[in-house]
Amino acid sequence: MDERPHLLLVDDERSIREPLAAYLARNGFRVTQAADAAAARDRLAGYAIDLVILDIMMPGEDGLSLCRHIRETSDLPVVLLTAMAEETDRIVGLEMGADDYVVKPFSPRELVARIKVILRRAARGGVRQQAPETQSYVFAGWVLKAGERALVDRDGVTVPLSTGEFNLMLAFATHPRQVLSRDQLLDLAQGREANAFDRAIDNHISRLRRKIEEDPKAPALIKTVWGGGYTLAADVTRL
Amino acid sequence: MALLLAAALLVAQAVNFGLQLRASERQRTQQTTAVAIARLAELVARAEAPRPPGFEPMVVVTARSPILPAMPKRPDVVARAGQTLTELGLGVERMQAAEAMGREYRYIRDPATATLRRVEGPRRNALILSAELAEGRWVTAVSQFPPHDYRVVLWLLFQTILLYGFILLPVLWFVWRLSRPLRDLRIAADSFTSAAPAPPVRERGPADIRQLVHAFNLMRERLAAMLDEKDRMLGAIGHDLRTPLASLRVRTELVDDEAERDRMAATIDEMNRTLDDILSLARLGRPSEPPALVDLPALVDSVVDDFLDLGAPVTAEDSDRLTVPMRPTLIRRAVRNLIENGIKYGGGVRVRVRAESGGAIVEIDDDGPGIPPDDIERMFEPFTRAEGSRSRDTGGAGLGLALARAIATGHGGRLSLANRPEGGLRATLWLPAAG
Repeated sequence: MDERPHLLLVDDERSIREPLAAYLARNGFRVTQAADAAAARDRLAGYAIDLVILDIMMPGEDGLSLCRHIRETSDLPVVLLTAMAEETDRIVGLEMGADDYVVKPFSPRELVARIKVILRRAARGGVRQQAPETQSYVFAGWVLKAGERALVDRDGVTVPLSTGEFNLMLAFATHPRQVLSRDQLLDLAQGREANAFDRAIDNHISRLRRKIEEDPKAPALIKTVWGGGYTLAADVTRL
Repeated sequence: MALLLAAALLVAQAVNFGLQLRASERQRTQQTTAVAIARLAELVARAEAPRPPGFEPMVVVTARSPILPAMPKRPDVVARAGQTLTELGLGVERMQAAEAMGREYRYIRDPATATLRRVEGPRRNALILSAELAEGRWVTAVSQFPPHDYRVVLWLLFQTILLYGFILLPVLWFVWRLSRPLRDLRIAADSFTSAAPAPPVRERGPADIRQLVHAFNLMRERLAAMLDEKDRMLGAIGHDLRTPLASLRVRTELVDDEAERDRMAATIDEMNRTLDDILSLARLGRPSEPPALVDLPALVDSVVDDFLDLGAPVTAEDSDRLTVPMRPTLIRRAVRNLIENGIKYGGGVRVRVRAESGGAIVEIDDDGPGIPPDDIERMFEPFTRAEGSRSRDTGGAGLGLALARAIATGHGGRLSLANRPEGGLRATLWLPAAG
């Protein structure tokens, strides 16, 4: 019995599909390829697939439609490949029920990192949730708009976040009132952007506090827990 | 149009008025002259008539003419009087005529005393006609000009108002009917932007105007179709170029030499960024992102933070919250391009945000060599890069500044470059506080 995770790679573009399949295979995955949506449905029926990598733009039935079909029939994780960099286009894909996306041209290493995060989450038996990036989180007068990577205050003023700040904030928003150690935060935040998070967590925490705390010197929202790490001292509602 | 017509009418009325006035003036003179001549003829006849001795003539005869040299002379009246006297067979030595201010007297009955009293009337112009019967014997006739008839003026005024009513009102109505669709057309043409093509203009007004509006509406539709086509084409270009780039990017991971692999990945990223810039520049007129109120220092800070994560030498000065309406993705991109340029050409970069009357300013200083002043404006042209050591290995297709300025302009703001006196270049991005 093959222990490797089984990926279904759906892309009409052979010049991407074949080298990507080879790369994924070298990185410990079993890969099955499909050149269009019909072939993909066929493979889905015939194999026990763990995760689908899906190109959005395909002739015939497109990736979004196939993604919706997969979501209606199973909990199978889906990662979208998209050639569109426009923010709104990406969000549409995630709203179709995808777990994550990468924009072409993507770094294959980053793709592998994200696949591993998703598979780990699925393996923990966690209830499959909508991708965190499509959601809004409301806490203490702030709205964290994940799709826009920004916080919005009571007056409707947008406060943009850097990638690092956003990843941290999202980690807090998805784990409110939990004490998160630096290692946990690093793990949670790094899952998304593997290479953009090298600096110390403390540095990002203090930047984030400057943006959201009334008094950054006496933080009321992101509290330091002695010897333990940090915690978001607010209730979070998902929108 | 209506004004021009009103002016023309006014001129015509003025000419008319002048002619009328002259005619009535001539009539006045003629009447007065005739009276004066008749009186003089009578005086001459009576003065020279044979009379019984002892009877003094009933005519005042003076030794000198009452006409003074200062009075304006009327030789035309003299000529006419001469003609009349000759016809009547009356002969005189010579005649003089002049105008002077005359006094008119009236007699009224005083109700208290029941006597007549002489009252001085208004002083009016009078015609004085004097004839010398013989040496030192002058007779004089005076005739007052009748008062000016101001009813003529009133009549003309009435006429003018009537004319205005009958001509100007229909013209005004016509002009208004004409200008309304034209104004709609102007507004539609003005408000036509690639982001939101204005709705079709209502076809109304005279036939040729309707045709013009119709033609404009057709053009509007064609333009909107062309813009849609452009968007579709850009989307296709983006897709068709990103796919081979993605293919290359995946293949680079199959290269064993790690240094070579990183260089390839960097080149592909660079190509992708250039492609993004080109597409953004082409799409700038039709942004998909809605505008929002954004804390500008926080935005700048987040961009700087992303650079810091990559180990770039950028520092940002702290500043208070400063809310500016904008499309954050675009402004983020503009700020990122400016900082990127500073890092590429100038080493260390310092960023500062401050409020300025009516807006906010982002200043981006670098420690580079600056740019020759003559070249500064040229830097904003697409595909232009600083001279000197700037070869391809510094990366970029020279679109960064062009895009940043286009974004600033699109927000009603400004972007300028200047060499700092202490060395290095300063990019100043100004955004208006009210969108």
